[in-house]
Amino acid sequence: MKKISIFALVVSFFVSAFAVADEVNIFNARHYKADSELYSKFTNMTGIKVNLINGKSGALEKRIIEEGADSSADLYITADAGRCGAMDKKGHLQGGLTSKVIKEAVPKSFRTNKWVGIAKRARIIYYSPERVSGAELSGMTYEGLADPKWKGRLVIRKSSNIYNKSLVASLIANNGKKAAAAWAEGVVANMARTPKGNDRAQIMAVAAGEADIAVANTYYLALMLSGKKGAEQQEAAKKVKAFFPNQNDRGAHMNVSCAALVKGAPNKANAIKLVEFLLTPESQEHFTNNTFEFPMIDGVSPSPLVVNNLGLDFKQDMKTKLASYGKNQAAAVEVMTAAGWK
Amino acid sequence: MKINIWHLSSLLISFLVLIPIITVFTSFFENTSNYYEVLKNTFLMEYIFNSIVLLISVLILTFLIGTGTAYLVSFYKFPGCNFFKWALILSFAVPPYIYAYSLTAFFENYGTAFTILKNLLGDANYNKNIPKFDGMIGAILSVSFSLYAYVYILARASFLYQSQNLIDLGKNLGFSKFSTFYKIILPAARPAIIAGLSLVAMETLAEFGAVDFFSINTLTTGIYNSWIHFDDLAFANRISFFLLLFIFSLFILENLSRRKAKYHLNSRGGFKNKVQNKLFGRKAFLASMFCFLIFFISFLFPLGQMLYWTIKFPQNLFDLKIIELMLNTSYLVILSSLILIIFSLISNYGNRVSRNKILNFLSTLSISGYAIPGVILAIAFITFIAWFDNNIIKFLEFNSIKKVFIGSILGLVIVYFVRFYSLAFNGIKSGYEKINISVDESAYLLGYSKRKTFMNIHVPFLRNSLVFIIILISLEILRELPITLILRPFNFETFATTAYISASEDLLEAAAVPSLFLILIASFLIIVTSKYILKESYE
Repeated sequence: MKKISIFALVVSFFVSAFAVADEVNIFNARHYKADSELYSKFTNMTGIKVNLINGKSGALEKRIIEEGADSSADLYITADAGRCGAMDKKGHLQGGLTSKVIKEAVPKSFRTNKWVGIAKRARIIYYSPERVSGAELSGMTYEGLADPKWKGRLVIRKSSNIYNKSLVASLIANNGKKAAAAWAEGVVANMARTPKGNDRAQIMAVAAGEADIAVANTYYLALMLSGKKGAEQQEAAKKVKAFFPNQNDRGAHMNVSCAALVKGAPNKANAIKLVEFLLTPESQEHFTNNTFEFPMIDGVSPSPLVVNNLGLDFKQDMKTKLASYGKNQAAAVEVMTAAGWK
Repeated sequence: MKINIWHLSSLLISFLVLIPIITVFTSFFENTSNYYEVLKNTFLMEYIFNSIVLLISVLILTFLIGTGTAYLVSFYKFPGCNFFKWALILSFAVPPYIYAYSLTAFFENYGTAFTILKNLLGDANYNKNIPKFDGMIGAILSVSFSLYAYVYILARASFLYQSQNLIDLGKNLGFSKFSTFYKIILPAARPAIIAGLSLVAMETLAEFGAVDFFSINTLTTGIYNSWIHFDDLAFANRISFFLLLFIFSLFILENLSRRKAKYHLNSRGGFKNKVQNKLFGRKAFLASMFCFLIFFISFLFPLGQMLYWTIKFPQNLFDLKIIELMLNTSYLVILSSLILIIFSLISNYGNRVSRNKILNFLSTLSISGYAIPGVILAIAFITFIAWFDNNIIKFLEFNSIKKVFIGSILGLVIVYFVRFYSLAFNGIKSGYEKINISVDESAYLLGYSKRKTFMNIHVPFLRNSLVFIIILISLEILRELPITLILRPFNFETFATTAYISASEDLLEAAAVPSLFLILIASFLIIVTSKYILKESYE
């Protein structure tokens, strides 16, 4: 019994220590070295100390859930709107990210009152210009990925991948679950191989001739072209071209890195300040140059590598609410699993 | 019966080991969430199927490689055989997950193999001609080349002590070399080989890192995924139940074969020394080549790939906090070793002075923790703490103890303790067996107290065993992945978790540096203890 009360003492000491200082606790699933430099800038500007707790998104979410109401987390920053949405659905976020700065900076479909997009990316189609003609691609949509003409020519990641979950969730939001289920079956029938590897592996499969088209996020091609992944991948990236689907209707599927306000956040005001800071032109430039994402706000240009190789004048889907990615996530997994999407 | 400190500490340890087992069994009857209910049943069949395919393939491969190399180095002399004797155990320094990274790095599209071909033969698209070792095949290779040394070590030990008379007898009967091996040597070594294979089987079923990297759904990754992605502890525990059933049968099998092995080894005295036939010409070349090939594939290849990537992407070397990782690992090793050794000493000493049947039973129970996969231990531990916190601590109106045990060094060390207790216990036990009980009796006659006998006589005698145990624990903690991954405090990384996180976040080249350090440190520890490892196994 004595032991337990000592534990209790120790715990309460830590809890109180957390609440007193002028600081903000970030549970961070984005592992970019560049991000931590940005947080140091915030501390220099405001005097608010940033405690960065890094981890994989699953583990961080687990800890927020475990700690429940007395969570030490203020902000949860992760790389998919589907993740923020799912945390919201489970009831672990709170409202309050509604300051004037945030509302003015971020378009409505890219935020809720509990989480806000801080940098954008699109999930698009990559193709081999040698084997795919302009006519074949003309008017291409996500829906068109299920067209039998792509039989044995398509590569895409596993169904457990969060980017795919969010893509399918957006298709459910736009076309309904039934249509999405039929679509998933068509996609599985078109696959050139059993899904494996990360987004870059899909792009490289097209470069290597294993497939003609691939689905992957925008920043991966820029990353490969930057040479950060070695000369071979740089060379491979030059063999594929990017294509933005659904340009004649709703636009390319957009996703975000998002910052979410955790329920019971001990430093709510500081958390809001930090989100506002991440939405300043200076921070946004930092994102675009280091992670090759698209800026969340107007007036900042993406990295030259992105602009030169992907183009800027594509239509983004501004209509589909990103909140639907979390809401439809369970249905998306169900649809993909039922279609035999590994 | 007098309750004393021996009983209390033995009871405490057995209780710790029993927690995960009881948690898993009681949770089996709990309702799992209805979320994905139908899907989960299809998943379960897939988990079981994949686990069986992986298990059987790895057993076949490790048997062939392990006994093949052991046979060559035990019965023949050929160029390099003395080197291969110990070099073949270096594969232990490469955990399956690092092997998996190396396979991918080398064989993937535009990987190292592509670079080599391009430099040799000029520009062309070689990707289509490069075999892809991923998915199930990749997992089988990674696990097999990392674990065959278990079979090698035990088979070799058994071969060394086989009766030369028996082998001569076979020769006199006109047996060919192959039928001597097949009809005499192999059956006589069977208990040792089965013991080695059982260890491989347990490690394979517990394997998390490599299998997760290749996204194969086995029972072990299934446990982790249903906990982390489905938020379903009950379902995780239900899968654990199936996995434990598997493992218990293996455990029984292993114990049975070990009993036989003892019987066999006892008969070693009084035989002629083993004759090692010298090989010449083509045969000598083939034997050397085979051993070198295994050594190359299992050790030099992953080491080379990780080294190449470290040099190719040097920025990662500067980004990695090597000293911090070293300190973290050392901290865990020192803390765990200390606790493990203290309790093992108490239990062993207790068994020695009291010779009590209950104590003996409790210690046997306590060492079974090594058979339980790390994933199960960690998740069952969390389940137990959450239950205890919700039902008992809350009832007593104390503050929650979750943070004290989950995501803390304390919790991590407790679960390490359960997992590695057998290592420390058996190590000290074998050390104690070398101190004749008459030494104790003489000490008592000379007026030594029990405490003085322990401190002044036992501990100095046991010093070598203690050093060996600490090195083995270091090796295990260095390579350990699932327990550390699930229970470590945030921002507290080891080489293993850094490599794992980089690899799973699409930064495979950043995984190379921590992997390289892990391999180098582990190799050093293995080389330091190689004589002991090779000797220990046949004593």
